[in-house]
Amino acid sequence: MGQARLKRELGLLHATMMGIGGAICAGVFVTLGYAATLAGTALIIAMVLCGIINLFTMLSYAELGAAIPSAGGEYTFAKASFGGFFSFATGWFEWISNMFYASFSAVGFAYLVSYAVQVANLPITINLPIIAAITVAIFTMINIRGAKETGRTETLLVIILLALLGVFVFWGLFSGQGTGSLELSAPGGFFGVIRATSFIFVVYLGGEAIAVAQAEIKNPGKTIPRAILISCLTLIIIYTTIAYVVFKIVPPADLAGKESPLAYVAEQFMGPLGVGIITVAGSIAALSSVNTSIMAQSRVAYALARDGYFPKSFFVLHKRFYTPYIAILIGSIFVAAVAATGVVNFVTYATDFGFIIGFVFVNFSLIKLRRDKPSLYRPFKVPLYPLTPILGIGTSLLLIFFLEPSTLFMGAELFLFGLIAYYIRMVRHDRICLAVGGMNLGISAYSALLAYLVISGSLPISLPQNMISLLFGAAIIVSVTYLTAGILSITQKAGE
Amino acid sequence: MAKIRKVISRFVGGIQCGLGVISSVFAFLVYANPSIRESIAIASEQEVYLYMFLFLVFSVFSILSGLLLTREEK
Repeated sequence: MGQARLKRELGLLHATMMGIGGAICAGVFVTLGYAATLAGTALIIAMVLCGIINLFTMLSYAELGAAIPSAGGEYTFAKASFGGFFSFATGWFEWISNMFYASFSAVGFAYLVSYAVQVANLPITINLPIIAAITVAIFTMINIRGAKETGRTETLLVIILLALLGVFVFWGLFSGQGTGSLELSAPGGFFGVIRATSFIFVVYLGGEAIAVAQAEIKNPGKTIPRAILISCLTLIIIYTTIAYVVFKIVPPADLAGKESPLAYVAEQFMGPLGVGIITVAGSIAALSSVNTSIMAQSRVAYALARDGYFPKSFFVLHKRFYTPYIAILIGSIFVAAVAATGVVNFVTYATDFGFIIGFVFVNFSLIKLRRDKPSLYRPFKVPLYPLTPILGIGTSLLLIFFLEPSTLFMGAELFLFGLIAYYIRMVRHDRICLAVGGMNLGISAYSALLAYLVISGSLPISLPQNMISLLFGAAIIVSVTYLTAGILSITQKAGE
Repeated sequence: MAKIRKVISRFVGGIQCGLGVISSVFAFLVYANPSIRESIAIASEQEVYLYMFLFLVFSVFSILSGLLLTREEK
């Protein structure tokens, strides 16, 4: 019902710009320095390598997006091929990752505004959480206003961004200044290049926003594959030429420890104007990522609600604007709350893991659908099947292997929360009550034991007397509360 | 009897939701406040994420359990 009412308003230009804008985030302006210390000038090769890895999976997005052009992107593909918990987990990671990505970008924008104010010596104090929250609020309103408005805003932002990056690249290419060298060097060797590839891969993430918004793309059979391929190739060209200009101007070692390596490079051959251009470009990149991520998270939530995994209210469309405004609003409140805390590391870890897991799931979905539904109409087909999706799976898993342990830990947490959410929706109410009641009783027993250990002085930590009393009191309150809650939950069925 | 049960359920559910919120605030403080980390003897970054994980799991569980109790009669 609601599915039919989403309007197909986005053309090839809008869709392509969403792919490019979704991927070029503020991250590219800061990650280059550390990546250069890992890979040296071989970072140019790492950039191309990342682009090719990204392309393997994006081809799968193109085939599936053209064949199943419903809202939800990878979630919808996983639903059509696997269903059950597998599809829910795909949607869950996609939803969470997009919200965290929007938060990360909003915080990035706030930092850049603060940096610009400092550089310009303006007598203003910038409150980062407020700037981040206002940014989210503005793009929430644009997203509620309509898919066309979101697409237009994105197109405008990306055109300005590409123009600014174009100035940087062309000025750098024809500049006679600089002490850099393009001679191939890889201080970390082969594994250094692989680690750099894993580290900078994030700059290609986000382009799949096209697939998430596919229910609003005109003539999806042709437009989706074209938009995905054009945006992928454009990203490879942009990032590779940026890396080329960077090493033409400065040696890789000079970028170590620089807060904004791209701004530093621009300053070398453009002076203060270069710093200004890169700062504005970074801000616009962050804004475009906020815009696409808010749209993407809402369409995934909308699709999850369509299939009964999320509350029905997420499936409601605005009567005038035909957008899932409740999904946009609730997601944006979460985005603003996370952005206001400013916990950038935490958010980055969660984003990386979720997007890369999404890549793995999409390739699996493509293989499964090719086997189970060979007669499904596919306006676009992945070339060199099954090699391409297998390479997509292999390279994505390799990237997970090279991620920081904290990222994997964050991924495990997100998975656990997803599992809880799934069972809450899918398992019968009385069984949930029984399980929750049992866990309440377990927590109660554990707290009682803790209270005993505290008061008997058996804990191997030395605490002041007032802390012991406080801890004992808290443990007793928790124990009694959870004992009562456990009994009430277990007897809920009988009580009714 | 059913009325008393309803009142107790709402009261206990409310406390559980409150404990859940406090726990999530504590998870954030463990991440953001170095003095809190020192006071509970957290040494490495890995431990920070472990503590965050424990607090967040407790928080989600408490809020879920609290909501189940407060919405019992519905």
